[in-house]
Amino acid sequence: MPGGIAFEFPQLYLTGLWLTIQISVLGLFGALLLGTLVAVLRVSPIAPLRWIGAAYVEFFRNTPLVVLLFFLFLGLPLIGLRFSTDTFENIFRAAAVGMGLYHGAYVAEVVRGGLLGVDRGQIEAARSLGLSYAQMLRYVQLPQTFRSVIPPLGNIGIALVKNTSLASTIGVAELLYAAEIVESRTFRAEEAFIAATLLYLALTIPLGIAVNALERRMLVAR
Amino acid sequence: MRPDTWPMFLDPAIWGFLFEGLRETIYIALASVAVSFPVGLLFALGRLSRRRWIRWPSILYVEGVRALPVLLLIAYFGIKGSALFRPIFGEDFELPRFWAGVLGLSMYTSAVLAEIIRAGIVSLPRGQTEAARALGLSHTQTMRTVILPQALRLMVPAMMAQLTTVIKDTSLVGTIGIFELLRQGRTIYTQFFNPVEVLLIVATIYFVICFALSQASRRFELGYAPRAARLKIEDIALRDQAA
Repeated sequence: MPGGIAFEFPQLYLTGLWLTIQISVLGLFGALLLGTLVAVLRVSPIAPLRWIGAAYVEFFRNTPLVVLLFFLFLGLPLIGLRFSTDTFENIFRAAAVGMGLYHGAYVAEVVRGGLLGVDRGQIEAARSLGLSYAQMLRYVQLPQTFRSVIPPLGNIGIALVKNTSLASTIGVAELLYAAEIVESRTFRAEEAFIAATLLYLALTIPLGIAVNALERRMLVAR
Repeated sequence: MRPDTWPMFLDPAIWGFLFEGLRETIYIALASVAVSFPVGLLFALGRLSRRRWIRWPSILYVEGVRALPVLLLIAYFGIKGSALFRPIFGEDFELPRFWAGVLGLSMYTSAVLAEIIRAGIVSLPRGQTEAARALGLSHTQTMRTVILPQALRLMVPAMMAQLTTVIKDTSLVGTIGIFELLRQGRTIYTQFFNPVEVLLIVATIYFVICFALSQASRRFELGYAPRAARLKIEDIALRDQAA
């Protein structure tokens, strides 16, 4: 049975899967929050805020995620910033923060596209009715954005789940790390990696289905 | 706090060491693109084929590989690359690390390129195919002389953007012992204990290259890509932006 090796090392694969899920959820949450914030900065009427948003997006889109992870886990403690005094907790949090920062840039691009897609007339109408800029964002522009951005955000979510595998490079014992340990113990590379692959698919396929369902729901609601 | 180590970067030897890594990074990225373009083209055509026994395996390959983390592919070929080729090249064949990395990267990139190329082909108006067939061209001739030249030209910006992703992904092959840019940087900071400085410099080098490439890709719009193709490519880009 493909992936049967996972039942020989249930402890390793289960902890791996659980860590992958935790990093994915925390990272996705952070990315959505940060990305929305940066997107709002990027469409704001104040030029310096727009520049900050653009600098953030361009920087993180054009540097590798591993470099960021190494920086968070090795660099920050040296300048006096540490996520936790516990070593394992520290790398775990560094991984989650890295996921959020990196994917936040992609989320920002998508949300910005959604914000710009809202008809200008709506914004002008809201403003001329006396809503402040913040109120207009909160009640008019952002709610309309959420519908159009759900499918692309689902794609970012899938990419994020796959990218949690990079946390293994800084020593987080997530799925890929588990597979590598199992391989080094048994020399059964194919089986070890196929088991990890199936578990990754068990996360990304439901995510894809959920996004599709949500997309359809949103279409009906319109 | 430890002392500042910025002054050591005045030493040209440090830069020489980093640029050796950069050279390796660029070679790997170029080799991966060179391998994955023909493979991707093949799978794109396979997926559009009318024969089921060609189409289904192509779909399985493209969708299956895109669902995997790149690092998993790289780690797999790093461990088993040599063993895979032993039946062909003899018992004591050792796959060079460089090619193990290229194999892992190209397997993933070929699946992504296949989707990009397919989006380009599908987005062309049906009239193009119909006209070519009506003029008496065979299916192969239609593809080769009418559809592909147009589709590939439309896809140039998307493929250049994919090259930036490949360059970012090369930072992962350091894990299987290839001395690319990040790996060289890691060697420096384990010697001198200055990860902050080194990682900032390494990040800047990656940024300059990738930023320049992604800006350039916007200038290479040869012809007008239909809206459907653009959306599809955006989708692919979002999902396949790996590290």
